[in-house]
Amino acid sequence: MTPGLAVWIGIGSALVVWAVVSGLSPRLPGPIALIRWFAQSWLGRALALCAWAGAGWHLFCQRP
Amino acid sequence: MRRFLPAVLVAAAAAFAWWEGGLHQSSTAAHVSVLVTNGVFLLGAVSAGVGRQAAPVGVWVRGPLSVRRHLAEDTAATVAVVVWIVLVLVPIGWDLNSFVHQSHDLPTVSWIVGHATSSHGGRAVVFALWLTLGGTLALGWRRPR
Repeated sequence: MTPGLAVWIGIGSALVVWAVVSGLSPRLPGPIALIRWFAQSWLGRALALCAWAGAGWHLFCQRP
Repeated sequence: MRRFLPAVLVAAAAAFAWWEGGLHQSSTAAHVSVLVTNGVFLLGAVSAGVGRQAAPVGVWVRGPLSVRRHLAEDTAATVAVVVWIVLVLVPIGWDLNSFVHQSHDLPTVSWIVGHATSSHGGRAVVFALWLTLGGTLALGWRRPR
């Protein structure tokens, strides 16, 4: 395993753990709240949709 | 018929994701399907959203600036937001670092996702997740008409 991959596993694990912890706690904003925050206004929704569209093009149409 | 519409849409999206999973990145069909999906979801967001946003842009932009007031009102939630910000910024920074160095020891997110999407099933699952996120961003959390 490369050092970079080990860092990604650490980052991914932290994200999953925090998503589960915050998702299960009614007092903490979880992953759904994060997405919902972007969908609150036209600007946030437009920014998130542009990022989503660009990510789709990169992932499915270019060779990563 | 209206009752079955959500199930029909989910089944259609799953079939579309499975079909797309079999395509190659450089194929015309993959390019057209992603571009059409982008267009449909962006148009859907506009047509479904007129007058139905939860907050005006100005209020939304100023929201994070009142963090000090939120910190006093609800410390746990504010700390949680800071943790989210860190957990979003750290991967972006590490990905940029890996991209700049262009080393086999430092894979980028694109490289990792590229491996995950190299099989039919993997690409179909990632495409289905992408569709779900796009649909949520385009249509979710609207005020009722």
